[in-house]
Amino acid sequence: MKERQQDEKIPALSRALCERLLQDLERARRPVLYATKCSLDNAIYNHKIGYLTPGAKKVATELSVGSVKKMSRTIFMLEVVLRNLSVGAVNTKRELYYISKGEIKHNSTLKPLDFESQDESDEIIDFICEMLECYREELNCYANDRGGQTYSQQLIVTETLPDGDIAVVELGKLGTTPFQPKNRPQNLKLSTKKKIDFGLIVESEGTANTLVANGFTKRHSCILMGAQGVPSNAVRGWCKLIQDQLEVPLYFFGDLDAYTMQNIFRTLKAGSASSLIRNKDFSAPDVRFLGVLPDDIKKYDLNDYPVRESDAQEVRALKKAQDALKNDPFFHDKRNKGLTEILEWLLSHKRRCEQQAYFTVDPRDPVMPEKIIVDKIRRGHYV
Amino acid sequence: MAKQSEQITTSSTAEYFSKNLQQVGFSSQTKAVLTTLKEAVDNALDACEEHSIAPEVHVLIEKVGLGSLKNSEQIRIRVDDNGPGIDPDNVPKVFGEYLASSKFGRGRCSRGQQGIGISAATTWAQLTSAVGARVITKTSTMRKAMKCSVEVDIKNNRGVVKERVTLDWDRPHGTSVEFLVDGRVQVNGEAGLLNYLTATALVNPHLTLHYRMPDMDKVVVKRVTTEVPLIPEATAPHPHTMKLGEFIAHSHLFGRVKVAVWLKKGFSRITDSVCDEMVKTGGLPALVLDTLVDKVTEVQFKQLFSVIQNMPLLAPSTRSVLSIGEEGFEKSIGRLGSVDFFAAVSRKPAICDFKPVQVEVAVARLQNKVSEADSSAQVLRFANRVPLQFDKASCAIVKAIESVNWRAYGLVQPKNSLPQGPYIIAVSVVSPFIKFKNASKETIDASDELVEELRRALIQAGQKLSRYIRRELKANELELKIRHIEQFCPILIDGLCRITEAPEARKEKAKAGLVKLLGKDAESTEKELEKAVIASQKGKEV
Repeated sequence: MKERQQDEKIPALSRALCERLLQDLERARRPVLYATKCSLDNAIYNHKIGYLTPGAKKVATELSVGSVKKMSRTIFMLEVVLRNLSVGAVNTKRELYYISKGEIKHNSTLKPLDFESQDESDEIIDFICEMLECYREELNCYANDRGGQTYSQQLIVTETLPDGDIAVVELGKLGTTPFQPKNRPQNLKLSTKKKIDFGLIVESEGTANTLVANGFTKRHSCILMGAQGVPSNAVRGWCKLIQDQLEVPLYFFGDLDAYTMQNIFRTLKAGSASSLIRNKDFSAPDVRFLGVLPDDIKKYDLNDYPVRESDAQEVRALKKAQDALKNDPFFHDKRNKGLTEILEWLLSHKRRCEQQAYFTVDPRDPVMPEKIIVDKIRRGHYV
Repeated sequence: MAKQSEQITTSSTAEYFSKNLQQVGFSSQTKAVLTTLKEAVDNALDACEEHSIAPEVHVLIEKVGLGSLKNSEQIRIRVDDNGPGIDPDNVPKVFGEYLASSKFGRGRCSRGQQGIGISAATTWAQLTSAVGARVITKTSTMRKAMKCSVEVDIKNNRGVVKERVTLDWDRPHGTSVEFLVDGRVQVNGEAGLLNYLTATALVNPHLTLHYRMPDMDKVVVKRVTTEVPLIPEATAPHPHTMKLGEFIAHSHLFGRVKVAVWLKKGFSRITDSVCDEMVKTGGLPALVLDTLVDKVTEVQFKQLFSVIQNMPLLAPSTRSVLSIGEEGFEKSIGRLGSVDFFAAVSRKPAICDFKPVQVEVAVARLQNKVSEADSSAQVLRFANRVPLQFDKASCAIVKAIESVNWRAYGLVQPKNSLPQGPYIIAVSVVSPFIKFKNASKETIDASDELVEELRRALIQAGQKLSRYIRRELKANELELKIRHIEQFCPILIDGLCRITEAPEARKEKAKAGLVKLLGKDAESTEKELEKAVIASQKGKEV
């Protein structure tokens, strides 16, 4: 299947696909469905592009007695989705599961397609996305997630609603309430009251709130966002939007451990292997790793501690980091040498240091972490 | 002078066993009933086989009233056989004397060996009902039958005959033995009487069994063969089954003969050519073979023993062990119920722990047990054709079954457990010297060599069985494919046509194309099924 162009519409693509299948069947030829293989062994990283892109590997599903059920379910779900798109209806995966159940309930001939659990219908939706190389949002199937809690005195967000109304949100007027974009951040238009110097993405939403409460956004012309741990699609899309529309430098501040480096930061910066199709709009390649850096431990005399061998999660993270060094094209790229070195340091020292450790530097000064962060940005002490 | 309490006294064997009846199968009231029945039936079968009589055994179990023990009932257990009968002089020895046996140490594969079991049953009856065994017996040379009761003289380990009378009997020869014991009747379950009787019928295809139990109609299980297995005569010992001490002691049994003569006469599988090989390849000085046995030095004995142990000799003769045979299993297995299919394997005799052993396995799937898919397969264990019903977990047979990967043969099996499903796994171990773990002969000792031999037999049976299971899987697969084609073809085409807004004519054409495509898949499965059917027919089927 050729790569989809941005202007190609899902309905047209779907119809073309179905036409091909039908023609094959008319000729008694086995139709084949091709879907992009979304896994690390099909991920390519090019620093000029900045995120993980899919390679040439496709998963081919040829029609057979074994696959006829999956194909029938795919066409059935595709029809449901196309109907949604035609009327502008929006659903979650869970709702689509129930819509499918409803269709089957009212038409007994469809009974063999029935999904026993949501996992089965989710798998079909994902398969459609991989086949059409589109995001689920393009199928009007939205996840219930939202971009990270965002604070700024300067940022203004303009949203054109489906009915044509325009909504303008001035973040500086929200007081202590954070702004959290929903669904498709790509639909938002960003502007600023005055020039923004930088954006800071903090791994812990709690720490982000503390920084704001202590006046970070008042003292600095910036955007401050909580990443909610592993960044969701919405967080990643929101960061990408800020990066592209405002062209401000973005910094990530989080724990110094293998999990943060590999699961959180790499996903934010270059996307993930399981979402190769959507990394283009859901990763922010310009974001830099501000810390905690291994040097910071010594420089600020931070409290760090060894990885607990008894903690299965921590041990698993180290093992995954080892695999990443071996197999992840992102860490193979020499432009990311600094990040690779951090991962190697973590593996060899088997120690970790949390972002909140900055509070140990001067326990009586609540803005000490802010001072360190700003100082690091000013001195260019990041990777 | 030592105090009276410190004096060393001697007890009779009967006294020992009367105080330790739990060691020989009388550890509970339900076990007491089963053990009594088992001992009586085993004796009846052994007696019939010794005289090549096709056994016809009648079993009666009935509740007579309340027993003298707490929570017990008085149970009548009667076993009649058409065996040769017992000489009146031997009646007190058979039923009332411990360790009085015609079979002990003879190296034959009979059920009874030591002469403990039936005397223990008499003791139990005597202790709980104050009445010993009631016996009627007649040999073909007796004009009238003898009726008496036998009790055990516990102090002197002797049988005492009481109330002896003669009577006319309705059969030319046979024995009837009746016990009145305190106990409880457990009919069903793994340790139940019914399990014992059906299992006994399974491994004795030549047996006709009539039985009546409480709350049950009379049941007759007819013999499926009239061929009475010939109990093989004990053969000369195989040299690989001996230890050095036994080997040297054995040399003294043949008088002042040359070593070569002793070896050929006193052992099986040693011939002139084997003797030549001992010299040529084994490095034994030829002189040793020509020496008289009483002149052989200890060093020479050791050298001779070592050379023989390292010689590749033929396995012990199959004549020394008695097998049920695959054919016997085949005929008999239908008596367990409606069998879907089964696989039987008779291994060649092998040496395990210095003793000849023959392992036989039958695995069957029962039709009427399909609902028990989640429960473990039923295991029937046999030692010298006697069902083993207790202490399953530590038995060599169960350990071997659990060690086999039954999943490879299409059965469901949790890790390190028995396989699941409506299967019966019958395993028989036959040997003149079975190593039991206890005197009540409930469990076979799980030595590594025996477990491995059992495992091999089970693997062979599993491989045979998998042919049938594979055929079934293929048939299911074909059915699934055909169902898939019927179910999904119209749905897929309808969906495609709706999205592309294709006309009816295209729909029909696509349907024809799809059926053609999927039909090819079904055809290939059908061919595979045919192959599987042919393969399974090559195996034996019920």
